[in-house]
Parts: sequence; C-alpha cells; structure tokens
Amino acid sequence: MYIKIKNNHIEFIKSANPYLIFATIFAFVIGLYYSLFQSPPDYIQGDSMRIMYIHVPSAWFALMTYSILAGSCVLWFITRNPLFNVVARSIAQVGMVFTLMSLITGSIWGKPTWGVWWVWDARLTSMLILFFLYIAYIFLWQAISNKELASKISAALAIIGFINIPIIKFSVDWWNTLHQPASISKLSTPSIDTSMLIPLFIMTIACFLFLVTVSLIRFRLVLIENKMLRTSN
Amino acid sequence: MSNLIKRDLLLSFYSSANFFFTVSFFILILMLIPFAFGTQTEQLKVLFRGVVWIALALSIIITVDRIYNADYEDGNLDIIMQKNKTIEYLIISKYITHWFIYCLPLLVILPVLSFLFYLDYLETVQIFINLFIGSFGMVFIANFVSALTLGARRTIFLKAIIMIPLFVPFIIFGSDAGSWPILLALSMLSFVISIYVTAYGLRLYGE
Repeated sequence: MYIKIKNNHIEFIKSANPYLIFATIFAFVIGLYYSLFQSPPDYIQGDSMRIMYIHVPSAWFALMTYSILAGSCVLWFITRNPLFNVVARSIAQVGMVFTLMSLITGSIWGKPTWGVWWVWDARLTSMLILFFLYIAYIFLWQAISNKELASKISAALAIIGFINIPIIKFSVDWWNTLHQPASISKLSTPSIDTSMLIPLFIMTIACFLFLVTVSLIRFRLVLIENKMLRTSN
Repeated sequence: MSNLIKRDLLLSFYSSANFFFTVSFFILILMLIPFAFGTQTEQLKVLFRGVVWIALALSIIITVDRIYNADYEDGNLDIIMQKNKTIEYLIISKYITHWFIYCLPLLVILPVLSFLFYLDYLETVQIFINLFIGSFGMVFIANFVSALTLGARRTIFLKAIIMIPLFVPFIIFGSDAGSWPILLALSMLSFVISIYVTAYGLRLYGE
C-alpha cells in the first residue's frame, strides 16, 4: 500500500506548516478579542453566552470532521486510493478533540444557564456517542496488528457510525430537547445579531485553520509512520 | 447450514456449560438492583424494566469473544469458508446459534425474575416481547463486531466501546412498553447492515 506523491508536494506541506500555525494563532487571537471585548453580552444570559463562540464552531467541526472521515472511508472503498485512508486517519484525532471541546464548553455553559452541568437529552447524548465513535475508530486501528487490515476494519466501523451524524443534526428538531435548535442555519434571516455573528465567523475560521493545520501535520506523520511514502521527483 | 448449527450447539453444550454462566451472570446483575436501590416495590418495578436491558447488553458483550474467535484461531473458519461459497449461510447459522445459546436462556428465565420483581402478568408479557425482538438486533450487532475485531485479541473493552453506542437505540425504545414495532424495525435494519459487514469482515480475515 503505497501512495504516489511527489516529493515537492510533501516539501510544500512541510514548508507551509509554520505559516499555518501562525495563521491559526492569529485567527484565534483576533476571534477571542472580538468575542470577549468587541461583542455585546446577551440580554438574558449576560457574559456566559460568550462560550458560544468556541462551543458552536467546535461542535460544527466535530460533525464536519466525522462526515469527512466517513466520506473518505467510502471513497477509499470505491476508488482503492490509499490517500483517502490516510486523510481519514489524520483527521480522526482532531475530530475527537473538537467533540471533547464542544462537550466541555457546553457543560461549562450549562452550569450557569441551565443550572446543571449535564442533561441527558438527545443532542448531548448523541454528541457523547460521537466521542466514543471517534475513540472506537482510533483504538480499533491500534488494536489490530496487521495495519492494512486494521485500516479496512476501522473504515467499515466509521461508515456504520455515520448513522449518528443525522441523529445529532436533527435531534433538536425531532425531539423536544433542552438544547436549543440551530439559530445560524437559517441562512436568509439568522436569528442572531450581526455583532455576535462577526466573532462567531472569525472563530469558525480559526477552528477551520486549526483543523487544517493539525490534520496536515498528522497527514505527514501518518505517511512517515507507515513508510507509505514512495517519493518521486 | 443445519450441520453448522448442530455443530455449534453441541460444542457449546459440551464446553463447560457456557449458557449456564450467562444465565447466572444475568440473574446476578438483576440481583444487584435491590442491593443498590433498596427494596421498595414500586421502585423495583420501574428499575427492573431498564436494568433488564442493561443486563442483556452486558451478557451479550461478554459473549462476543466466543462467536468467531475459537473457529478463527483453530482454523475451522478457513475450512468452512473454503467449503461454502456463500458465506452468508455460515453467518446466519452463527446468528441462530448465538441467539439460542446466549439469549434464549435469558428469555426463559425472565418471567421468573419479573415475578420476583413484583411485575404482573401483562407487564411481564410486554417486557418479554420487547426483549425477544430486541435481543435479535443486539445479536446481529454483536456478530458483526465480533467478525470485525477478529484480529484484535483480548480487547473486550474495545469491543464494548464499539458495541454500546450501537445498543443505545435498542435500550431507548426497549424500556418503553408498547414500542415493539420500532424494535422490530431496528432489528431488521441491523440484520441488513450486519450480514454485509460480517461477510466483509470474515472475508478480510479469511484471505
């Protein structure tokens, strides 16, 4: 299982690394400045709603990362191009971190707002299940010693686990949960003020940059780790 | 297919009474309810409905290592797969034997247990129907997890981490009294997924 990738492409990924790290930190600094100082507090929740600026992007990217993971596993099965497998494996850890982040920040926000750290409603529970799906994907790969076999097996598991993603997405619409339904997705008239939308937008970009940066580092590491590089110029 | 079923049933019957231990495990988990929550009749009735599902899930989880692993390790799986071109016969016979050995004894003992937990006749029938239908779906899930994790030996915790999220829908709908149609739908869905994924896993390891 080799990937034909040109040496200068890997060199490009390697040289882009510091810039991406810098851009990520820069975007987080700007986003945090906007979300902590430049946006008004909520008229009911006060300052505690500022957690939303990190909670919402990390939840979005937790779902998006799993969708990319499952999608690239499907593409790997169809095309047999091992690049998709490497993409899936390099993105899994970041997705797990995003899921954990959204769970922790949601919990911190829940304490002053709902009065409890955790409620067993559909959105929160399915998010917790998503976290364990990431764990299952990562550790199943580690548990099987034949790594090519391990990739196939864990890819099959990731595709089965994709059932959970629509459940998370629509849990707030299907069931009457304590978690509020989406306020941003109504693209024409978002039920959120522009002054709050700007920091959210910057934080989303920052989270996206974080995802890209860490995944590219992981991508290179996965290739090196498995000696999958057959470099050619 | 009937030969495979007969072989598996005989093997389990003569191998140190496996099903006896599963039933004991099931009873002992349910026996922990009064110790953990006290002996008020109303509370026991409520708790029994839910904990019976947890006990079933745990009993299936501890048996997941026994579905394909023994055959895989002593090479029987390769021989069976070489003889039968349609691997699905093997899988369906494994579903049937696994359900017979590890779920049927639990269902047989269930009315006695629900009598001990003060549930009346109608409630017992409801719980029995739900468990009967739901146990099939859980067996299907356990089978494909077992087939997928053949290469990962002695990783029962990992298998539990994979299986418990997949058991969640069964436990959600199972503890409702009249939700057996949903459980039936879930079981049929998991059958469709399971038979493909199990065949895929077995073919990967059989190569």
